[in-house]
Amino acid sequence: MPLSSSWRITLLSTAAALAVSFTSQNAQADIPDENYRPALDHLLTKVMPPKLDDFHDATGDLTKSITDFCASPDADDLKDVQEDFHNAMDIWQEIQPWRMGPLVAKGRDQHIEYWPDKHGTAARQFRKLLFSKPASYTDPVQLAEASAALQGFPALEEVLFDDSNIDHLTKGDEDGVFLCQYGTAIATNLQTITGELRDEWPEFAEAMATAGPDSMDYPTAKFAATDLYRALHEGLLIISTQKLGRPLGENEKDAKASRAESEVSKRSLRNVAHNLTGLLAIYDGKWGDVGTEGAGLASLIDSSLLDRSFRLNWQTVTDAVLERPESIDTLLAQSDGYQSLVDLKSQIDFLITLVENDIGGTTQLGGGFNALDGD
Amino acid sequence: MRHQRREFLKLMGVGGAFTLLPLNIARAASTPAIEDRAVYISASAGDADDFYVSAFNASGKILFEQALPGRGHDIGLRPNHVDVAAVERRPGLYGLILDRHTGDVRAKLHCPEDRRFYGHAIYSNDGRFLYITENDFDHARGVVSVWDAEDGYRRVAEFDSFGTGPHELHLMPGGEQLVIANGGLHTHPDFDGRTALNIDSMEPNLSIIDRHTGKLIHQASLKHDWHQLSIRHLDVAANGTIAAGFQYQGEINDQVPLVGVWQPGKEIRPIEAPDNVQYRMRQYCGSVRFDASGQVFGISCPRGGLVTFWDAKTNDFLTHIAAPDGCGLAATDRPGEFVGTSGLGNGWRMDAIRRKRVELPDDSHKSLHWDNHLRRITA
Repeated sequence: MPLSSSWRITLLSTAAALAVSFTSQNAQADIPDENYRPALDHLLTKVMPPKLDDFHDATGDLTKSITDFCASPDADDLKDVQEDFHNAMDIWQEIQPWRMGPLVAKGRDQHIEYWPDKHGTAARQFRKLLFSKPASYTDPVQLAEASAALQGFPALEEVLFDDSNIDHLTKGDEDGVFLCQYGTAIATNLQTITGELRDEWPEFAEAMATAGPDSMDYPTAKFAATDLYRALHEGLLIISTQKLGRPLGENEKDAKASRAESEVSKRSLRNVAHNLTGLLAIYDGKWGDVGTEGAGLASLIDSSLLDRSFRLNWQTVTDAVLERPESIDTLLAQSDGYQSLVDLKSQIDFLITLVENDIGGTTQLGGGFNALDGD
Repeated sequence: MRHQRREFLKLMGVGGAFTLLPLNIARAASTPAIEDRAVYISASAGDADDFYVSAFNASGKILFEQALPGRGHDIGLRPNHVDVAAVERRPGLYGLILDRHTGDVRAKLHCPEDRRFYGHAIYSNDGRFLYITENDFDHARGVVSVWDAEDGYRRVAEFDSFGTGPHELHLMPGGEQLVIANGGLHTHPDFDGRTALNIDSMEPNLSIIDRHTGKLIHQASLKHDWHQLSIRHLDVAANGTIAAGFQYQGEINDQVPLVGVWQPGKEIRPIEAPDNVQYRMRQYCGSVRFDASGQVFGISCPRGGLVTFWDAKTNDFLTHIAAPDGCGLAATDRPGEFVGTSGLGNGWRMDAIRRKRVELPDDSHKSLHWDNHLRRITA
């Protein structure tokens, strides 16, 4: 059976089941505010901190490997650096959708990854940089004050994966030396940023987890939990409209893989897979070997049918991502690649519908009168 | 941010301990004084698609509820008169003139077939004319209609708003000019009247027209990169400064300003909150209000559940106060103090200077979902 037909049947049959459970939850009484607190506490103080540690460690490994490589450039060692880039990027893509607190403070999310870059700012600035080779960009402290487009993962991706730059790096010529120093500065800067992120998270988590009427930031636990629900919802929206929607364009002729995220390193759909891991953790409460299954927003769902259906749908979409190549460029090169990407976007859109109608409705975190329909 | 607030407190004369504060500020964010007999009025909704204009007192006690045929939006207050104008939100067909003390209907306004009301209305200072923003949907053109309150609310004129999708409008100081927020969104009743049909080409602006002739006096837009910032709500300080709140029609993670300050004749100055507040504004501002002193303005962000406060003199961000689903904002008579309402039914007294939020003590107002805008009627 073609993939597109099978997922539709699975999702639609689940949707029918969900409709039954959603009808029954309409009459549900307000969830007591205290019921939101365990999920908040679990996600913010138990699940996220170890992941931020992992992220910081991964950028530390990346800094070390690029430093080692630059001491004695060699094609095999470059592969190690690229592998460490992928490891750091994997964990970043899982953390990325948790857009809140220290992650967005001081423009951190943009400094870690300036994307989407609608006007091609990074590529333009990168070309100029390589031409003029300013020494300030090889100093991580000065780099931290530079354009966000030149200081995070996309810039490092250019250094490590662009064919021309790889050539310079392995030859160790003048451009290669600059690229090495610049790449090391980027990795070091990322290590600094992820260290700040790790250090600032506990205070933020404490403020969210101890929400109460005296707080000017989070007056109720439900209000604090709304930020987690929004992260789940918006994370899916960003996958649909930007990570998949941008390369898809208006139609097949307009499709362009270069508009996808991380296509220089050929990992745009690998990013989506890791986004889904980080997003499911918000719902489930378990993230890899961290956390407890069912202790996230799922703890607010009192219908086992809805919970099972949602998980089944999520797994179906995750499988669909993993069945495809890691690169949208590779996918679009296939004869049915465009349609395959369209189908994938449709599946993400269906997940968005489930989150809005069922998870948002059942957890009562979906938004209020003015938030949902203001003017 | 802390530094900005500290500087602002100095300017406001609030540098010392709480006990040394001027009495009127020390009272802020506490239970309202008995003499505060102000009335707050707003569109509201029940739980079953039932809509009202409702009024409550400074304690939050409901004074009246007047049923509406459809969802309202803002309320226009006729100076020195009992009339208030409740115009249906876009795409609106009705307008009701109500008695501010009882909610009784005193007159009805009907939108022409080829127009739709857009929820906002304002009276001239002498109370004679009522101005309403409307959509001339077949021509994707905004208009301001003029209704003569002394002639049975007869529609007597119509001016160009000099933009598409006009929304909130206000009188400028002096009362002879109107400033209009043209949101830039083209909608048509054939497509539900609310769905934007021109996201890619929208061109919002702020326009000032002569209220007698409709002649354009000033106009300003944001730079083209920000053309998807729909300029929807505004308020005007006594010195003519206009504060505006935007609603972004682009991506949820685009980095765009959501607040602008305009001195007519100059460019709109976009201003931003610190990143960790800016992202919580969720690309959407719901209402804008200057405080009694004109030194602070508040901008509500219902999607983020925040009210942000800004220094009108320096245009710096001051602080924010969480307000779940909060949107309606009205200035009290105390500097830096506002009453805010929520779609979840809450009503708060909020002090931007001391960063305090206190629930209105009477629970009767909690039975309603409070809509976008709140107006204060001075006792």
